Amino acid sequence: MAQQATEGEFTLDTAAVLAAGEPASAIRGRSPWYLAWRRLRRNYVAFFFLGLFILICVACLLAPVYAKHVAGTGPNQQHVLENVRVNGKLVPVVSSGGIVNGKLTSAIPIGPTWFSGGGKFVLGADAIGRDVAVRLLYGGRTSLFIGIVSSLICTFFAVILALLAAYYGGWGDFTITRFFDLMYAFPVILLGIALGSALAINGFHHWGINIQSGSIWIPTFVISYVLVAYVGRPLRGQVLSLRQKEFIEASIAQGASPFRVMFIELLPNIMSSVLVFFTLIIATNILLESALSFLGAGVQPPTASWGTQIADGQDLIVTRPWLSLAPGIMIVLTVVALNVFGDGLRDALDPRAKVRIQR
Amino acid sequence: MDRRHRLKWLLAAASFSVGIALIAAACGGGGSSSTTTSSSGSSSSSGSSSSSKSFANFRVAYDTGIDYLDPGLSYTVEGWQIMWNVYLPLLGYKHVNGPDGATIVPYLADSLPTVSSDGKTYTLTLRKNIKYSNGATVKASDFRATIERDFKVDSPGVGFFGNIVGADQFSKTKTGHISGIVVNDSTGQITIHLNAPQGDFMNILATLFAAPVPAGTPAKDQSTTPAPSTGPYMIQSYQPNKIAIVVRNPNYDASQFDGNVPVGNPDKMTFNIIGDDNVALQRVISGQDDYDFHQIPADRLAQVQSQHANQIKVYTPANTYYFFMNTRMPPFDKLQVRQAVNYAINREALVRIYAGLAQPTQNVLPPTYPQYKKLNLYPYNLAKAKQLIAASGDKGMSVTVWNHDRGYDPKATAYLTDVLNSIGLKAKEKIINSAVYWTTIGNQATKAQIGFADWFQDYPHPLDWFDVLLNGERITQTHNNNYANFNDAGVNRQIDTLKKQPTLTATVNAQWASVDKAVMEQAPWAPFLNRQFTDFFYTSMDLSCYINHVLYQFDFSTICHN
Repeated sequence: MAQQATEGEFTLDTAAVLAAGEPASAIRGRSPWYLAWRRLRRNYVAFFFLGLFILICVACLLAPVYAKHVAGTGPNQQHVLENVRVNGKLVPVVSSGGIVNGKLTSAIPIGPTWFSGGGKFVLGADAIGRDVAVRLLYGGRTSLFIGIVSSLICTFFAVILALLAAYYGGWGDFTITRFFDLMYAFPVILLGIALGSALAINGFHHWGINIQSGSIWIPTFVISYVLVAYVGRPLRGQVLSLRQKEFIEASIAQGASPFRVMFIELLPNIMSSVLVFFTLIIATNILLESALSFLGAGVQPPTASWGTQIADGQDLIVTRPWLSLAPGIMIVLTVVALNVFGDGLRDALDPRAKVRIQR
Repeated sequence: MDRRHRLKWLLAAASFSVGIALIAAACGGGGSSSTTTSSSGSSSSSGSSSSSKSFANFRVAYDTGIDYLDPGLSYTVEGWQIMWNVYLPLLGYKHVNGPDGATIVPYLADSLPTVSSDGKTYTLTLRKNIKYSNGATVKASDFRATIERDFKVDSPGVGFFGNIVGADQFSKTKTGHISGIVVNDSTGQITIHLNAPQGDFMNILATLFAAPVPAGTPAKDQSTTPAPSTGPYMIQSYQPNKIAIVVRNPNYDASQFDGNVPVGNPDKMTFNIIGDDNVALQRVISGQDDYDFHQIPADRLAQVQSQHANQIKVYTPANTYYFFMNTRMPPFDKLQVRQAVNYAINREALVRIYAGLAQPTQNVLPPTYPQYKKLNLYPYNLAKAKQLIAASGDKGMSVTVWNHDRGYDPKATAYLTDVLNSIGLKAKEKIINSAVYWTTIGNQATKAQIGFADWFQDYPHPLDWFDVLLNGERITQTHNNNYANFNDAGVNRQIDTLKKQPTLTATVNAQWASVDKAVMEQAPWAPFLNRQFTDFFYTSMDLSCYINHVLYQFDFSTICHN
């Protein structure tokens, strides 16, 4: 029989006595997702950068509005021979250049007007008189579309392959893992250039799929393909370790089908990793798309993308650095925003972070 | 500091030093580099002669436009400028500035050909004891074998030799010999029989397609295993898209050529193939290279002018830049659409895109030709262009605009694409590497609808324009130069008739001008400008030696050092 504790006296029954004295209250269970959300929302830096990324996306989505109502021109419209009024003065969009009074003069497009041109050529014009700010926003749409969609495709296939490889093991795992090894053997950029260049010229017309050359689906699929291994392999490792857990064995013992085990038991347990990979791979894909487009193996002209804009601005880097700087800055901001938010998401989803909250 | 920390510090310092040393080694290697492959012949620094203005190495920041370094295959300025001093035809041109540079002089032949009274037989004799760079003697039969090789490799120049008796038969069978070329190795005599008189045949004999190579030279691209040369230089090695090295031909003897072919001043020429115009310019400014083959970027012109005025030369070769429209492919099989494109493009805008170093044009022939008569058939009129497209019934049709990726040219197609979209077509661009661009659009299998093209004269004669580029009888399956596949019976007949004229009189010139107009009325092209160019040199080069040839532009062999 337990002895009643007296005040100040500690016995083995102290916890029970203290608990008995507490008013009864319902204990709400907290799912791991809720706990992760709680951790994430306290990470103000991550939220700031998420907000920055959303702002960039919204700005790019509103590109047609900007083009129509502010700049008054489209992304591919040239204005080589036109003039624009800047602070009351008529300035040629592209100066004439050539030999003037026996001297060579530069033919350069107008620099940034910073809204003193009535919204026209805010960031200046490129060599054929196209509005840089309009192309920057339209280019963002292209780059973000390719980055996000290719990440979705890449992650989707990486998850499928990882689950199949790790669950079945044996020859299936061997084959899929060797496929990952093969992809790892090629430098990503070189493989992307090779595939992108070949498909950019002829398009893709196989197995009932018809994609014209110059379509942005070409770089989207190329980027998805070359990065599958980089997501699939780490996920496979995680699934392999989960595969050995007792709850999986129990599930199989109870007669669960492979589909159920993979998608109902295993997949939810790797979702946190999948989410983090997805977020981080968007940044990688945007960088890869910019690199391929810069090299001519990604987005094809005249479609604007941040990579093609950097390439277009090369010839004018001395007198008109904004042509290349503006898309470069956008790439940096987008990639940094995604990386910081991705880090915050990873910290939030990390179970070991529970210890920090108790403090 | 305890022992462990001291060790860590030492290791860190050592790693840092190694890193700095590696970076210094990587950055310190500038200038040209030579390759390890060598072609036939020795690669000594002096030939059998060298000039008083010799210097060791002339380094060129070249561009990526070399298609081949095979005289039977190359048809670009980049290829010909290198090979002009490497492979000598039977006839050639004086290495001088100005119009005098178009004077034909004997090279491998000992004199200009004797032409029969009917204009159908040309007789030449080889100079004695001319050697290739590998020591073999040049034979008369090598000339016939060279022309036959041109047919076997599907050379873009085969059309030049179509008038030789038996050439047509040989082009079909590619076996036996061309019956119209009679050679005698013991006397060195070469007799060429033509089906009909041809006014530009001596110019054709002066093209690189007719430069003899040894009879056993394989009938395939020899760019990376260069054929033995006859000129003052030989190609030592070539790595596509990277570097080409040209050195003196050890078996060249300038005294054999009556002063028609210079000895050459550089002992060696290194062509560093650079893709970017700014990088090429910077290499010359900094002294890594001696000459910038690229055009000075538009935004650097004023700066280069102010800081390096004495190192720049501006020149105007005979050239025309144009958009071809494939008359076999819709929508450009319709005259209305082709005319619409001509009305829609604003040539002044294109001049500005080319940094203002150009003159607008609507002619095939450049204004330097006596046969040139300025045309203004298509004054800029966007509304009319839209009307024509609407009337043609091809509004909304998809069109692919082809171009290569080098220099200012991609901007021209960006402009054209926007214009085509504005007049009602649905245009997109296809940009490919410049090294394969011309062979790609010259291949009928590509089915290029519309694209960029330019032409620099091979020789100063209208036949080099109309017969090569617009004669329907010279359309080929591959290496086609008539990108528009223009085949107008009336124009073909006029060209064939004028081809027989032995000299360019005022009457003949007027007839050529009317051919120009007749072609542009059919609008297979949208010519837009005649361009000016810049040559930029490093300070150590002596520009008093600079020769800009009327056909081959800057003559690499005659430049000298300060």
